[in-house]
Amino acid sequence: MKQPLSRLLRTPVLRKLAPGALALAAGYALAQQMIGPPTTPPSPEAVKGQKAKGGYVPERMKNPHVMPHPPRMTVTPPSEIPLDRIKVPPGFKVELWAHGMPGVRMMTRGTKGTIWAGTRIIGRVYEIKDRGTHREHRILAEKLTQPNGVAFLGGNLYVIAINRVFRYDGIEDNPDVKPVELTAQFKLPPEAHHNWKFIAFGPDNRLYVQVGAPCNVCEVSEEYAQIRSYSADGSNMEVVARGVRNTVGFDFHPRTGELWFTDNGRDWMGENAPEDELNRVSKSGQFFGFPWCHAQGIPDPDVKKKDPCKGVTRPVALLGPHAAALGMRFYTGKMFPKEYQDSIFIARRGSWNRAALFGFDVVNVRVTPDGRNAKVIPFMTGFMDARENKFWGRPVDVLQLPDGSLLVSDEQVGAIYRVTYSK
Amino acid sequence: MAGPDATGRAGCARRAAAVLLCAASLCGVAAARAERDTPRTAARLAACEACHGTAGRPPLAGTPSLSGQQREFLALQMFLFREGLREAAQMAKTMDGLTDNDLLEIASYFARQPPPRADGKKDPGLYARGAALSRAMGCGGCHGEDFRGQQHVPRLANQREDYLAAAMKAYRDNRRTGIDTTMNGILYRVPDADLEALAHFLAHR
Repeated sequence: MKQPLSRLLRTPVLRKLAPGALALAAGYALAQQMIGPPTTPPSPEAVKGQKAKGGYVPERMKNPHVMPHPPRMTVTPPSEIPLDRIKVPPGFKVELWAHGMPGVRMMTRGTKGTIWAGTRIIGRVYEIKDRGTHREHRILAEKLTQPNGVAFLGGNLYVIAINRVFRYDGIEDNPDVKPVELTAQFKLPPEAHHNWKFIAFGPDNRLYVQVGAPCNVCEVSEEYAQIRSYSADGSNMEVVARGVRNTVGFDFHPRTGELWFTDNGRDWMGENAPEDELNRVSKSGQFFGFPWCHAQGIPDPDVKKKDPCKGVTRPVALLGPHAAALGMRFYTGKMFPKEYQDSIFIARRGSWNRAALFGFDVVNVRVTPDGRNAKVIPFMTGFMDARENKFWGRPVDVLQLPDGSLLVSDEQVGAIYRVTYSK
Repeated sequence: MAGPDATGRAGCARRAAAVLLCAASLCGVAAARAERDTPRTAARLAACEACHGTAGRPPLAGTPSLSGQQREFLALQMFLFREGLREAAQMAKTMDGLTDNDLLEIASYFARQPPPRADGKKDPGLYARGAALSRAMGCGGCHGEDFRGQQHVPRLANQREDYLAAAMKAYRDNRRTGIDTTMNGILYRVPDADLEALAHFLAHR
């Protein structure tokens, strides 16, 4: 078996030089595991020098030293997952439910209890079985192009990568079933950026699929920046929401059946704008503003038109600047206190396009079914250290189990946590 | 489950010894040689250098220079090749059977080599156009104001021009993805002529 890259990056030399200093070594391990933006931006002299040579000028990029954070593609052993740092409200408890799955992201559950989880760059779909005292997993599919979308209906698992669609028929009874490829039926556009799919079946048994904008901000052609729904076989496509930059999480209200979704705001518009959104689709085909109008009515400074915010459906709630609000589900279980009924749990993977890290948590949103009086409340925190401006974990999706407990996937350490409550 | 393999441990012990030796003698060359002398790595390095060149010998046409490249970038790209997630001539075969430890030793070795020097004639007009495009697109935001890269973001300065142009076209046409799709997004709809100007500018930094 291969040795984890990250463990090696923490060079064992130090431990050899300081034998016996176990506490020190453990502290060192976590410190090295924490990731954050470089602390020193280029000096004004350096920038001036580059300007003279015709090179880089920061101008619009206020924080020229921010960039997407490095992923971790190798196995993180449980001893390197600092569970004790995770904070939840009184009465709640967090356990490490499953681990050893680098890049684990969006989750779905079969009727017989199997969990499947998609990934992005590592190209795998994981299958996880609960064995009571522990969980076992296998790699169901690999070498796909960002198979982020997983959904389950009528005994069949659906997997959507950027460029391909598969259906695994009756997989819980027949684990070695060969998938049926439905790529041609779905006719998804080819652009990769912002097109790792989130998918889910609605109460109408149609498959809802995201198609993101293939840029940070730009005028997109007709087939991008939207949420579509399809019959399960890929026919009868309908555009459900338009002007959606990049949603990576949606769910259906347990009382109204309406589609609610998170949406990621654009980059390079400063530290605090525009905020990510929580949206509600009250009428099929509604327009949510991209690329002209962001958050609660901020016109885009680059892509302009007259009355940019006219006819735009405003968000139900703002979810923070560059927070990467991704997986979201309504809570309908009986385990958590009654104030959580019909509330929404949202995983915020955390910012990269911001000097001061933001997000890296799970929030709870309490809101009326018609989208009024939304309150965004911290629920699961401790994945980042604000003082150090570094993080160790990145929550990406949430999924309720039949007993009312909540699974939370963490892409950075390849783990799934289970949150329970007892009085 | 994952665990250090025997070769990895031996390599680490050897490196630890080399580090201690260097601390005493302030001898950086000895450390570089000690690492290269790890038998597994030495054989692999020869295979890499056959196409990618060395500090004194430029790479083959269309092949990137690895000298002075970012260590984390190199290790992650080799990981993608090994896992079959990124395709390039020869690379899957070359990476076959390498442990994570091997990838890191190879990455460390190339990261320590002196970065490449500009090769070929500079066209001032094309260079200026590339510089302006780079400014407008904010390339330096991630790749650094001097394009030396950082962590998982690669050094671009003085990279081979033909390789840079081909890599950018591959990103634009979705034939290549990095460790995320940032580059696909940034190069969306950028015409060939602009990518070639950018490549010329970066190759002559």
